[in-house]
Amino acid sequence: MTVFTILWKNIKWRFHNKLTIIITLTQPVLWLVLYSTVAGQTLQGTEIGNYTAFILPGLMVLVSFSVCSSSGIMNYMLKAEGSFYRILIAPVQRTSVILGQILEGVLCTFLEVGLMGLISLFFSVRFRTGISGFCIILLLIFLIAFFMSGICYGISLILPNEMVYESVMNAIVLPVFFLSSALFPVDRITGILKILVSGNPFTHVINSIRSILLGKAVSGRELVLTICLLLLMGGLGFCFAAVRLNRETDL
Amino acid sequence: MQQTSPYAICAEQVYKQYKNGVQALSGLSLTVKRGEIFTLLGQNGAGKSTLIRILTTFLKPGSGKVSVLGLDLNRDADRIRAKIACVSQQTSIDMHLSLRENMMFQSRLYRIPKAAAKKRMDMLIDAFDLTQYLKYPVSSYSGGIKRRLDIALNLMSEPEVLFLDEPTVGMDIQSRMAMWKMMEKIREEFGTTVFLTTHYLEEADSLSDTVCIMKEGKEVAQGTPFALRQYIRQDMIRITFSSKSAAGDSVKRMSGLFLPDRIRIQDNCCLLFTEDIRRDMETANVFLLKNQIPFLGIEIKQPSLDDIFLKLTEDSKQEACI
Repeated sequence: MTVFTILWKNIKWRFHNKLTIIITLTQPVLWLVLYSTVAGQTLQGTEIGNYTAFILPGLMVLVSFSVCSSSGIMNYMLKAEGSFYRILIAPVQRTSVILGQILEGVLCTFLEVGLMGLISLFFSVRFRTGISGFCIILLLIFLIAFFMSGICYGISLILPNEMVYESVMNAIVLPVFFLSSALFPVDRITGILKILVSGNPFTHVINSIRSILLGKAVSGRELVLTICLLLLMGGLGFCFAAVRLNRETDL
Repeated sequence: MQQTSPYAICAEQVYKQYKNGVQALSGLSLTVKRGEIFTLLGQNGAGKSTLIRILTTFLKPGSGKVSVLGLDLNRDADRIRAKIACVSQQTSIDMHLSLRENMMFQSRLYRIPKAAAKKRMDMLIDAFDLTQYLKYPVSSYSGGIKRRLDIALNLMSEPEVLFLDEPTVGMDIQSRMAMWKMMEKIREEFGTTVFLTTHYLEEADSLSDTVCIMKEGKEVAQGTPFALRQYIRQDMIRITFSSKSAAGDSVKRMSGLFLPDRIRIQDNCCLLFTEDIRRDMETANVFLLKNQIPFLGIEIKQPSLDDIFLKLTEDSKQEACI
């Protein structure tokens, strides 16, 4: 129950700071609207087809990164003026505090991914998936956002202020995004880049979402492995956040 | 059996060293009776905030025994949390919530049934004169109103002990006086034990049932304000000069007459701590007149809490508990 109390307070924070929704949505939407249009014309005639549809899964992951990063900012704001410390001396389990904040990041990710899906319809993107496929996509997005929210929560408790936090998050998110299959097919990449891209768990997540979304054949084995990997990452992200929160009171 | 303890807080030989090496508490011991206003006095860095953080279960003590409301701090932190609340130096109000939402959020954290929480909220809004601010966003409140709301919402859970960490710091005198009334109200109307830290000695003097003076992470004296005055058991002779420098010069000239640790300069006055008031009054008078040292007045003065605080916190060798 306390999880929902914390979640409710965090949702109120998000809608009070609507700018965080707009800002986190802006960059992925610009990629979707401007970049995909320009790049799509350049890539005409390749096997990619509708380039906007091609990069949509990667941008769903990017929007999740942005939203979860901004939920870490909440900690700085609530520490400076807010209930952060008050909650820690209330009879509330630390795990509920973390879960309440992580779930807010997940819900906001769903909202923004939904908005991106709607916008993509205006760019001739057609989803060729059934209910089950749609549910798997939701599960994958949930797991990505859960992992990212946990990591962002923990990092926000390590770094001293919002500026350093923003810089560090950009330094993490952008390489992870570019070294994945978000923007281009990675079949022909070789050497060290291939290792890096293949080793990036988000490559597999993006590939799975893309295949499901565009009605292509999905390897069940790869899908299960991807979900297991995300479950593991989500668990690790949560533990990392819990360790960092406990250290707040172990000075 | 533990619940019937007459003490709200008992701390014995509490030590706390931060990971950066700072020794914040060095064997502090104190007791706080149920239902009293207990004030902790100390200079910056004396360890007041660290002690509050430990007593509110935020920090773990390095060693020592601490019990709050008869519950052991190390074993029963969760149970203690349900019975206490803390108004810290920074206000803990969420600016994105309304006044009512802030208070209801607090009640949900403490799992208070909705109907009871609403009743309590209305009573507190009324008791703390917050009704007129209901229609405005919390972010637009002045510092004093925010502080009032902070205290009110911390009382939502009907805490048995309320910790107030320098609640009047930075307030103007009117707001401070309003806050003092509020603290008395909290004790009298809600029966809450109030644990207060402050820099303002007049605040401690007028509000407290018990005062504890801390220095370098350890208590140096604890008792009622009256008992602390008796503790010195010394009258003082106060000689007023035209300026601080004149007072300084005179102290130098009188250094042969009185022991250096018996003389202190406070603003433009020279304070002589004496054990034989008649003899020393005569000695000082004769010396001043004989040497034609100009002074504005000489009087016998009872020590104030300020004097006791300064004396105890200056003199590291004097340690006592009443």
